Amino acid sequence: MAYYVNRSIKMTWWERSYIPEIIKGMWLTSRRFFYNLFGFIPFFLGTEKDRRIMTVYYPEEQVEYPIAYRGRPVLAQNEDGQPACVACGLCEIACPAYCIDIVPAENTGKQNQYERWPDVFNIDYAICIFCGNCEEACPEEAIFMSDDCEISMLDRKQMLYTKEQLLTPVADLQKRIEFTRNMYAKWNY
Amino acid sequence: MLVDLTITLVKILFIFAVTVGFFAPVLTWVERKQSALMQDRIGANRADIMGFTFLGLFHIIADALKMFTKEDFIPDGANKFLHTISPIVALVPALLTFAVVPFGGQYTLFDKEVNLVISDLDVGLLFVFAIASLATYGYVIAGWSSNNNWSLLGSMRTASQMISYEVTMGLTIIGVLMVYGSMKLTEIGAIQENFWMWGIFLQPLGFIMFLTASIAENKRIPFDAPEAESELVAGYFTEYSGLKFGMFFMAEFIEMVTIGAIMTILFLGAWHIPFLTTATLLSWFDFLGTTGSNLVVMLIHVGVFFAKVVFFIYLQMIIRWTLPRFRYDQIMKLGWKILLPLSLANILVTGLVILALN
Repeated sequence: MAYYVNRSIKMTWWERSYIPEIIKGMWLTSRRFFYNLFGFIPFFLGTEKDRRIMTVYYPEEQVEYPIAYRGRPVLAQNEDGQPACVACGLCEIACPAYCIDIVPAENTGKQNQYERWPDVFNIDYAICIFCGNCEEACPEEAIFMSDDCEISMLDRKQMLYTKEQLLTPVADLQKRIEFTRNMYAKWNY
Repeated sequence: MLVDLTITLVKILFIFAVTVGFFAPVLTWVERKQSALMQDRIGANRADIMGFTFLGLFHIIADALKMFTKEDFIPDGANKFLHTISPIVALVPALLTFAVVPFGGQYTLFDKEVNLVISDLDVGLLFVFAIASLATYGYVIAGWSSNNNWSLLGSMRTASQMISYEVTMGLTIIGVLMVYGSMKLTEIGAIQENFWMWGIFLQPLGFIMFLTASIAENKRIPFDAPEAESELVAGYFTEYSGLKFGMFFMAEFIEMVTIGAIMTILFLGAWHIPFLTTATLLSWFDFLGTTGSNLVVMLIHVGVFFAKVVFFIYLQMIIRWTLPRFRYDQIMKLGWKILLPLSLANILVTGLVILALN
């Protein structure tokens, strides 16, 4: 649908004379300029902890992401070193981008062995769309979205993470686990 | 004779050192940093030597190195000769204007009258505008010889914009001439020793119009239609790289200094401090002897002059980072329908006031 920009805006005589409005704009920019300029001084002197400019020097300084942030999905690793995953394959099915690849393995009759666990668990971050569906689908609290988003690489093949690379101790994921419990409990599954 | 030659050479070297050696490179840094601070950013600070970034000042060196080592590219089908010569044509007038710009008054040093202007022309003001309008050729030739549609469009816009605003500029200085009765820039500067004789009080409308027209002449935002990045890639210097591009870049910054200097002389009291005549200043430093006191006063005046120039540069930069670009038809409308009648009215009113006062 075409729309038209109304160019015949009625301006007052004061506005049409340009100069006062320009001076107003210049006042704004120069105020920001001096505010930020002098905002550096207390920072360098050490009396203030932060600069007044909130821009972050990215690789050196990092912001803490909110807990709802969806970074790369990782596998939760129990205290005994085994993945919490039971290789049910629900995340594989839920994944809209088909980036998860699971090969399950079963108990061979040995003592102290899990009944079922993933022999292979690959996530290809080159394909992953960070939707969080795998986390939502997981019945065992085994896969979580971490806050790590620095997964750029020079080679696509390196972006295929295997089980060993994906495993993250549960202790590191505690906040996210609680967050997901709250969030999905509300939705009354 | 030899002494005169030495003095002139020293003055030329001083001007070159200040404009090409100091202002042109430092202003590139200032422009980046200032715009960053205005927009709540930090600005260029990545170039470092041994881990010291020094507020990003090393970017000047990095830029210069980059420009020197880049390939000098001439596009297929371009006129090689004109393509090469146009950045020079654009840069030289910007530097040449300083030949008549006085950056201080007259001082007696070692029983010798020293006039702080390279060439004290009687038609200094006309010389400035004659030379400044020559730069237009550089831009037009650059656009035409590049064999690129964007460049040609940019140079066409340059030509029309320059012509439109040179009219206003020329008519505005007529008001200044009527008030001061002289075209000698040194004389205009000397008259403004009296604070209430400053051009900004005698010609307030002229001041604003001259500022507008000179920013338009320099093709900076809001009058940057000739090089509009979002419309014409880079306008007339789209096809330039390396040092040739650097020359266009430098021409813009030196022209900013030129505009600042001319505005200072015409409207902001040249090298004078408000309410402080040269005689008073000399009497303060009387204990240093004639040469000593003159030397001190000279340094103060040159400092004051360049402080005012810096103020004007700051003003131009604020304007550049405050206002959006005019549409092309708006530029023409402002030039011909508003500024031209206003400058004519300015001349009329100035003449009537002078007539009434006499």
